[in-house]
Amino acid sequence: MLVQILFYLFGAFLVASALGVIVARNPVHSALALVLCFVTSAAIWLLLEAEFLAVVLVLVYVGAVMVLFLFVVMMLDIDLAELRSGFTRYAWLGWITAGVVIVEIVGVVTARNLGVDVTRGTVPLPEDYSNTAELGNVLYTRFAYPFELAAMLLLVAIIAAIALTMRRRPGLKVQDVAKQVAVRREERVRIVKMDPEKRP
Amino acid sequence: MNPNLLLAIVLLPLAGAIIAGLGGRLVSRMAAAYVTIAGVAISCVLSLIVLKQIYWDGVPAFNGPVYTWLVSDGVTMQVGFLVDRLTALMMAVVTFVSLCVHVYTIGYMHDDPGFKRFFSYISLFTFSMLMLVMSNNFMQLFFGWEAVGVVSYLLIGFWYTRPSAIFANLKAFLVNRVGDFGFVLGIAGVLYYTGSLDYTAAFEAAPRIAQESFPLTSTTSVEALGLICILLFIGAMGKSAQVPLHVWLPDSMEGPTPISALIHAATMVTAGIFMVARMSPLFEHSELALNFVLIIGATTALFMGLLGIVNNDIKRVVAYSTLSQLGYMTVALGVSAYGAAIFHLMTHAFFKALLFLAAGSVIIGMHHEQDMRKMGGLAKYMPVTAVTCWIGALALIGTPFFSGFYSKDMIIEAAAASHRWAAPYAYWCVLIGVFVTALYTFRMLFLTFHGEERFRTAHAHAASHGGEGGHGESHGSADAHHHGGEPHESPPVVTVPLIALAIPSIFIGLFTVGPVLFGGYFGDSIFVLERNDVLAELGHEFHGPVAFALHGFITPTFWLALAGVVTAWVFFLWKPGLADRAAEALRPIRTILVNKYYFDWFNENVIARGSRLLGRALWRGGDQVLIDGALVNGTAATVGRFGGVVRLIQSGYLYSYAFWMFIGLAVLLGWFLLRS
Amino acid sequence: MASETTLTWATVAPAIAEIYLAIAVCVLLLVDVFYGEKRRGLTPTLTLAALALGALLTAQFGAVTERVTLFNGMFVADELGHFLKLAGFVFVGFALLYSRTYLEQREILKGEYYVLALTALLGIFVMVSAASLLTMYIGVELLALSVYAMVAFDRDSGIAAESAMKYFVLGSIASGALLYGMSIVYGVTGTLSLDELAGQLRGELSAGVILGLVFIVVAVAFKLGAVPFHMWLPDVYHGAPTSVTLFIGTAPKIAYFALALRLLAEGLQGAVAEWSQMLAALAVLTLVVGNVVAIVQSNLKRMLAYSTISNVGFIVLGFVAGTPEGYSAALYYTLVYVLMSLGTFGVILLASRKGFEADELDHYKGLHARDPMLAFVMMVLMFSTAGIPPFVGFWAKLRIIQELWATSHPWLILIAIVMSVVGAFYYLRVVKLMYFDPPGELPATERNTGARVALGLNAAAVVLLGLLPGPLLDLCARLLH
Repeated sequence: MLVQILFYLFGAFLVASALGVIVARNPVHSALALVLCFVTSAAIWLLLEAEFLAVVLVLVYVGAVMVLFLFVVMMLDIDLAELRSGFTRYAWLGWITAGVVIVEIVGVVTARNLGVDVTRGTVPLPEDYSNTAELGNVLYTRFAYPFELAAMLLLVAIIAAIALTMRRRPGLKVQDVAKQVAVRREERVRIVKMDPEKRP
Repeated sequence: MNPNLLLAIVLLPLAGAIIAGLGGRLVSRMAAAYVTIAGVAISCVLSLIVLKQIYWDGVPAFNGPVYTWLVSDGVTMQVGFLVDRLTALMMAVVTFVSLCVHVYTIGYMHDDPGFKRFFSYISLFTFSMLMLVMSNNFMQLFFGWEAVGVVSYLLIGFWYTRPSAIFANLKAFLVNRVGDFGFVLGIAGVLYYTGSLDYTAAFEAAPRIAQESFPLTSTTSVEALGLICILLFIGAMGKSAQVPLHVWLPDSMEGPTPISALIHAATMVTAGIFMVARMSPLFEHSELALNFVLIIGATTALFMGLLGIVNNDIKRVVAYSTLSQLGYMTVALGVSAYGAAIFHLMTHAFFKALLFLAAGSVIIGMHHEQDMRKMGGLAKYMPVTAVTCWIGALALIGTPFFSGFYSKDMIIEAAAASHRWAAPYAYWCVLIGVFVTALYTFRMLFLTFHGEERFRTAHAHAASHGGEGGHGESHGSADAHHHGGEPHESPPVVTVPLIALAIPSIFIGLFTVGPVLFGGYFGDSIFVLERNDVLAELGHEFHGPVAFALHGFITPTFWLALAGVVTAWVFFLWKPGLADRAAEALRPIRTILVNKYYFDWFNENVIARGSRLLGRALWRGGDQVLIDGALVNGTAATVGRFGGVVRLIQSGYLYSYAFWMFIGLAVLLGWFLLRS
Repeated sequence: MASETTLTWATVAPAIAEIYLAIAVCVLLLVDVFYGEKRRGLTPTLTLAALALGALLTAQFGAVTERVTLFNGMFVADELGHFLKLAGFVFVGFALLYSRTYLEQREILKGEYYVLALTALLGIFVMVSAASLLTMYIGVELLALSVYAMVAFDRDSGIAAESAMKYFVLGSIASGALLYGMSIVYGVTGTLSLDELAGQLRGELSAGVILGLVFIVVAVAFKLGAVPFHMWLPDVYHGAPTSVTLFIGTAPKIAYFALALRLLAEGLQGAVAEWSQMLAALAVLTLVVGNVVAIVQSNLKRMLAYSTISNVGFIVLGFVAGTPEGYSAALYYTLVYVLMSLGTFGVILLASRKGFEADELDHYKGLHARDPMLAFVMMVLMFSTAGIPPFVGFWAKLRIIQELWATSHPWLILIAIVMSVVGAFYYLRVVKLMYFDPPGELPATERNTGARVALGLNAAAVVLLGLLPGPLLDLCARLLH
């Protein structure tokens, strides 16, 4: 019972904060709403006894990704008026469509329970069950193939990000450490022999 | 039999054609000639080997697919060969005649700028014809059928700068389209009733189809097999130039002479005859179709021969003779004497090719003069041509012991022996045809080779209207040297094929009539119902070729032929003035003949003009107003408007794109969730 | 599970294409880092060599005689997959061959481009061999991510950046829909494996499955470019550098075919009645919108984008039939379509020069006079795409119509035929422009021999496969039995 109350509480927060992400006028507020979104989903995962995932979500997304994101958003000067022009004109249509989709999904989920028997309730996991260990177990055995592929996916993301952003500007002065270290005296110091004073 | 051997026979001419045609500058003129000749020569030798294997060694007929092209809805379309005795004979004839023509072409086309193109075409033609002959299914038959049509179109229009050649090849193409339309419908009929394009399946189903009837309207119907056969035969009428689809053949003489020999004597025009013989298991079961065939053939045999009498162009006379002889073959088909038809086809291939090549030789000798009124007395100047031409003529009119005698007499006898209701008409037609044949053949012979030497006066005349005769057929320097000079004998490349063809023109009938017609040569490759088998009846009275020939001297046929020769001699050699008086006396008939029974007039003025008028009416009324106005432009306008509207939706705004996706999602969701 | 933990050659050989490609990507990346700067042409050449080697290895070791699953049921190897991977190698090879000069002239001939092309190919392979919802999703993302980056590759082009942005955002929405649908299906059935899914979904379907199915269909439709989920396609085709348009217009179509086949036809075969109706509705919209809107385009790349949409309509129709024969017709259509659009965009690439994108229809006026070979190839391709016999495009359309006939969809046949006729108009217009209009003052076309030879082969394949359609038709029928 308590779990159910908590679930609906967090669920409501999750939906509200997700809405906040898209309706907030200020991008910083949006980003913050997204942080809230992640935190509440982590809480729901906890309720599902997926502790490791919940922790990772908070650590990685909230702790690293979103912070980075916030930095970027704060540094950029985004013209809100321009972004929103034309958008609001059709907003009513958007709301209607969204409403229809929501009604449809809710209809399926609540009225017909997705058409499956979900009244069995949950079976509590044994005391010594470790989410982390279990995940580690299957990740490198059963799911080795998709896991490796996910690594490829990250590699692609890195390549893409670098290829699209790194720009070698001509004429930019850069240090070449190897050259600096390998330099020899002859290249640096030129000994010039000259008279101490100008000859008369 | 090894299928690779058969493939080689077919593909070598194709390879030759490709090398000569697409080789470009890599292949020199003579190389093109040698390559194609080598291809056809090997093909010819292999065909003879096949013939030997089939006939003497008793190798069973080959029937099987070589390559499956595609399978569509249970109908398999494949390249396959059916090589039995009938096919083997045709292959030998086709490749042999083609080889002769190839060799002859070296001399005839020597200075033509389209030398290589010409070799490429005739090799391609050989390939197409072999595909047609060797097919074991209707699909491939149709391919060969159309391919020979296309190549003949290209060849007739070979000198494409001459308007008359372009007109002639267009005419050939259009008339053949009419025939092909029937042919396609016939094939569709076969497919409809048997569900297969294979010969074997169609032949097996023939007795069954003969029982069925095809509803034309709600009340009338026609026997299904008869309809199919007549439709197929309409195709044959186009290719084999039977009345009324014969009009293209005389005009096709616009092509170079080797073509006249190749296409219009030995091979392409016989495609129809061959096809009917090949389809004998179908035709045999339909009296209706065979009577139709008989009437068409008999009409062609007599009435086309008559046209030969009034024509003055040497090549056209030979062309009308071909038409008439094709009529004879068709008559043989119509009386179920398929063997006789093929036999005549074979002998005719030799002596008609000979006559064409001889005519070509005369034309070369006369510096591209084709009008017989400007010849005469040429025997002195062109002895080899004259002698060989005589041999061809004697064979054509059916002089006993010559090859034409055996085949032609056999057809006449078969027509007499047949019990079909149209047979008496056919018999009289072919019998009178003998007289007509002798008349026009010897008229040609006498006008060309004997009598007064008219070319001297004619030459002065010809010079005044320039190079009209040798317009495209110009022999360049050779021509210039000899202009105004004596007629001269042609070079050996021309005369050797003449001699090569003259020998079989004399002897081939004597040696082959027994085995081919009565010795069961065709075996089961030709199917004849017992009650229709006139050849078997004739076989009882056949006591060897020599006896048959001797007997030939006392038949009406011989005397009619002799009468024809004598008439020709009287009118054109002894008393040339008589011919004009006779022409004056028979003016109405002559007018009809000169106008070729008004077929061309009818086609051009009634059919062509009529359809143009109809087309114009439909165009004005239907097309411009209804279709263009309302449908096409209307559609275009509607489409354009719709396109414009949809383009508006493609606004370029990201949110609008995403929005449309959501609408799609919502609609799909709603639709299926409400349903379930 | 224990038995599968031992890795032997036999248990990894069917995945040779994927394993090899992943290694090749890493090697090429390193080579490019160390030598790419000094020797510009090295990575492109090596990539082509790597593709050739990959095709050889796959042909040699990757063949399977029957359907097997590897990696704990995450990976399926069958003859279809083997063939599609070989086709993928070839198509990507040709695409990169055509692109080289184009990239060079726009100064975007970089190693990363080639590496991204290879990772996209890897994504294609993963999709082709996906046996579970999870691998399928990762494959989709692998391909999509590589392609997004490729579209934006020309950073100096504003329009490319814009279209990449649109592609990325819309693609993410579709990807979200796919993931959402998959998770619902997983939640209802409790399995990720497509085989088990096929076993479980029998008889009456639960509402949850249908809910998931709708989202999956939406995602598949988006990837294929079916209306109304096609909006990204014209903008991306138009905005992306032509070499990238060529790339995304060709090899990925194989993957999207596999996506539809593995997810819908195999995994969700129990729901065939539902999804084939959804696809039928989408196909009708797609055919109409694709063909009609193509007519009013003045930009060739945009026109070809709508042509792609209309062709996608045909591919979808193959799935509507809902039979193995229908899928084989769709496979045949996909292969043929990829072959044709490979050539078509190849022509555009060769007609373009530095600082000149030959992407307006007007740029093709009188092409025959300027470059007969290019015009001829284009004519063959246009005729084929319009479905005129004897070119291969005709057989592709015919096969689809045959299968619709066999499954009694007369109205769809009618619409397909009417729309083909409408479509023929804009293909033939290109031919008319090339052959009958006077040439304008335009830069000369590209004379790269390698690309021209490849283009000639490409056109020859279109003609030859049209004249001898039997082998490929048989192959497609055999692969889907």
